[in-house]
Amino acid sequence: MKKKKMIISRETMDVDFVRKVEALSGTSVRRCFQCGKCSAGCPMATFMEHPPNRVVRLLQLGQWQRVLAGRSIWYCASCETCSTRCPNKVHLASIMDALRKLSWDLDGPSKESYVQLANKIFLDNIRIYGRQYEMRLAAVFNVKSGQFLKDMMLGPKLLSKGKLKMFHSKNKNMPEIEKIFARIEEMRRKGEAL
Amino acid sequence: MSRIGVFICHCGENISRTVDVERVAREVGLLPGVAFSTDYKYMCSDPGQNLLKKAIQEQKLSHVVVAACSPRMHERTFRKAVEAAGLNPFLCEMANIREHCSWVHENKEEATVKAVEIVGMMVERVKKNRVLPTITVPVTKRSLVIGGGIAGIQAALDIADAGHEVILVEREPSIGGHMAQLSETFPTLDCSQCIMTPKMVDVANHPKIRLYTYSEIELVEGYIGNFQVTIRKKARSVDEDKCTGCGVCMEKCPIRKIPNKFDCNLGMRPAIYVPFPQAVPNTPVIDRENCTKFKTGKCGLCQKVCGPGAVDYEQEDRLIVEPVGAIVVATGFDLYNITEKPKGSMIKGYGEFGHGKIPDVIDGMTFERLASASGPTGGKILRPSDGKEPKQIVFIQCIGSRAREKGISYCSKVCCMYTAKHTMLYHHKVHDGQAYVFFMDARTPGKAYDEFWRRSIEEEEAVYIRGMVSRLYQKGDKIVVMGSDIAVGVQVEIEADMVVLATAVQPQAGADALAQKLGISYDKYNFYSEAHAKLRPVECATAGIYLAGACQGPKDIPDTVSQASAAAAKVMTLFAKDKLEREPIVARVREAGCVGCFACKKVCAYGAVEEKEIRDRQGNLIKVVAYVNPGVCGGCGTCQATCPSKCVELDGYTDEQIVAMIEAL
Repeated sequence: MKKKKMIISRETMDVDFVRKVEALSGTSVRRCFQCGKCSAGCPMATFMEHPPNRVVRLLQLGQWQRVLAGRSIWYCASCETCSTRCPNKVHLASIMDALRKLSWDLDGPSKESYVQLANKIFLDNIRIYGRQYEMRLAAVFNVKSGQFLKDMMLGPKLLSKGKLKMFHSKNKNMPEIEKIFARIEEMRRKGEAL
Repeated sequence: MSRIGVFICHCGENISRTVDVERVAREVGLLPGVAFSTDYKYMCSDPGQNLLKKAIQEQKLSHVVVAACSPRMHERTFRKAVEAAGLNPFLCEMANIREHCSWVHENKEEATVKAVEIVGMMVERVKKNRVLPTITVPVTKRSLVIGGGIAGIQAALDIADAGHEVILVEREPSIGGHMAQLSETFPTLDCSQCIMTPKMVDVANHPKIRLYTYSEIELVEGYIGNFQVTIRKKARSVDEDKCTGCGVCMEKCPIRKIPNKFDCNLGMRPAIYVPFPQAVPNTPVIDRENCTKFKTGKCGLCQKVCGPGAVDYEQEDRLIVEPVGAIVVATGFDLYNITEKPKGSMIKGYGEFGHGKIPDVIDGMTFERLASASGPTGGKILRPSDGKEPKQIVFIQCIGSRAREKGISYCSKVCCMYTAKHTMLYHHKVHDGQAYVFFMDARTPGKAYDEFWRRSIEEEEAVYIRGMVSRLYQKGDKIVVMGSDIAVGVQVEIEADMVVLATAVQPQAGADALAQKLGISYDKYNFYSEAHAKLRPVECATAGIYLAGACQGPKDIPDTVSQASAAAAKVMTLFAKDKLEREPIVARVREAGCVGCFACKKVCAYGAVEEKEIRDRQGNLIKVVAYVNPGVCGGCGTCQATCPSKCVELDGYTDEQIVAMIEAL
């Protein structure tokens, strides 16, 4: 990835976005003094183009677009090692959560990663069927992500072992499921949940 | 015939583990001149010392050799014991058989033979030791303090409060120094003037302090307890006794546009001026280079308007000689100059920052004046170029400091903290502005210092960017700052309205010349050197001269005040006695052989060698010889090694003694 020069000014530093992250995560971004301990212990850091400390650094400079354009936040496994070890009480795992939520709200599925797409189809399935319907998940994911033949050869094997069902089976108590979704949506509207 | 007593110590097991001490005692006892030899487990202990004293009296010993540890460890102990037994303490020598023998060898047989040889050498040496009387020097209980900044003020007040007279010499027209220029001070943000000016007034009113402002040190003669200092009191052109400080002369002076050095050249002053309104003394001075009266002979307005008739154009420099016993040097610092490359200096300057040609690139002290309520802008942060308020301000740290290639390798220590303070002051004064700081490391050791720095980031919204700036250039009325953020790993560009450079702390100009007058040593940056970096941090190697403040190395206000009080305490310790006692291990010149080449004078680190005239009875000059002043001599022996005619000898270390030691082997 080509690294673009950062032009820093009041206008290019989006402080409002960072305030939102701080409000959602309940932790201060400014507190971080870049010791790098979070990146040192992160099991997923090798997969990230911005290691955890740099995610915070970019937020300090209001450069959230650079963070969301990458896949770092989606590779975060939420293991919370960073938050546990941080010497300065920055809850980085919560910041990652907040970033994923804001990324979702902003522009739907991220182009860099399909994690967001997979998450979305997964939850849609739950809402429609009350439980997971893997066949549909795989099919819709492949179509939407444009990778039509992805993992195709795994299909027969999973079918023969009974791990993948051809037809869905619906939960019997759909109104209750819908209540859960509705309640979370309500909480989100009020800003009580991510 | 000498009757030498040899006392061999086991040092617990430290020596006896590898040296057969009883055999050493036996063998040494057979040496010619040795009347008594014995060994004991702990020679330095109370019973050990008593054994020594008893032996001296019972055996009627004339000299003593203690074979034990290094003389650095216990020479004083044993010499005291010897003195208590009625012998001159300088007839006692130590043979080091611990550090030089038992600790560095494993083979007991060989170590024992070596120990016998070492003791044998010292036996031969001690035979030639002379009875030396302790040197006493009278003390003049007055002190000179050079420099009227916070360091000099604190030292002067402390010494004066102890009841000793103090002469405070300041080069500028007013005392106060750099601290008077500062706006607010870290880490508490209290106003510098508010804590400084009362102390300045205390100095002016103290009955024990004699203040010489607008004065410089011309000549320093003498030695500890007995210095003669010549002070040049520069012509002020205003009689200090007559002047009431009304300020009419300054109001009427037609020359008004002279940049004021106190305001870092931002504000203007007349040709007759006080540097700042709170100056002490509040007596103006005429800047003769810019005054019309002195340039053309016309004008003379100030003299006409002066009610008490204090203005005196005929005044001349006066030389005043003051006898003092101790000197505190507190000449302080100056900032690395960003505007030009100093000529003939090892410092290279910053071409990439325009050598100060961009008007809105200023240094830290200039920012202090902008932020100061008594400054040229009344405390408003305004650009020097067009007087607009900067909305984006960039601070760059480590300018000059920690840049070996540019000439200075040390850290200036105060810049991290004052830059953090600057971002806060800026945030308090320009609410819609944004401060950025480029830094390499934030060095904040000190009480409540790191918390202060974090506060500037976490609460006062300063954006700190780790990485240095490569270049600054003017673009329209903006300054483009090209830097990098090494945490992100990308280049960073900021269009700033104003840039503040945290320039390095350097010694005052002329610090080296003053050091040469005082005979004290200084490092390659002209910072004065202390006698020992850890254990004698306020004393110079030259006896009777003490250091305080940033003339010794970059220092913040708390450290400076602590050191000033420490130096004052050292002066008071010196003044506590009427006479000084000095160890008589000093060099002596054999005048008959001295040819007066003064090679010894050139190498003497203490300035102890003087020229002495030898005359016959009629008063005709026979020759000029070297004379070592015992009050100043440090006993290092360099003169002895240098003298081509072998006519300087250090007592206790004469050539005769060294040769005797070698022959004993």
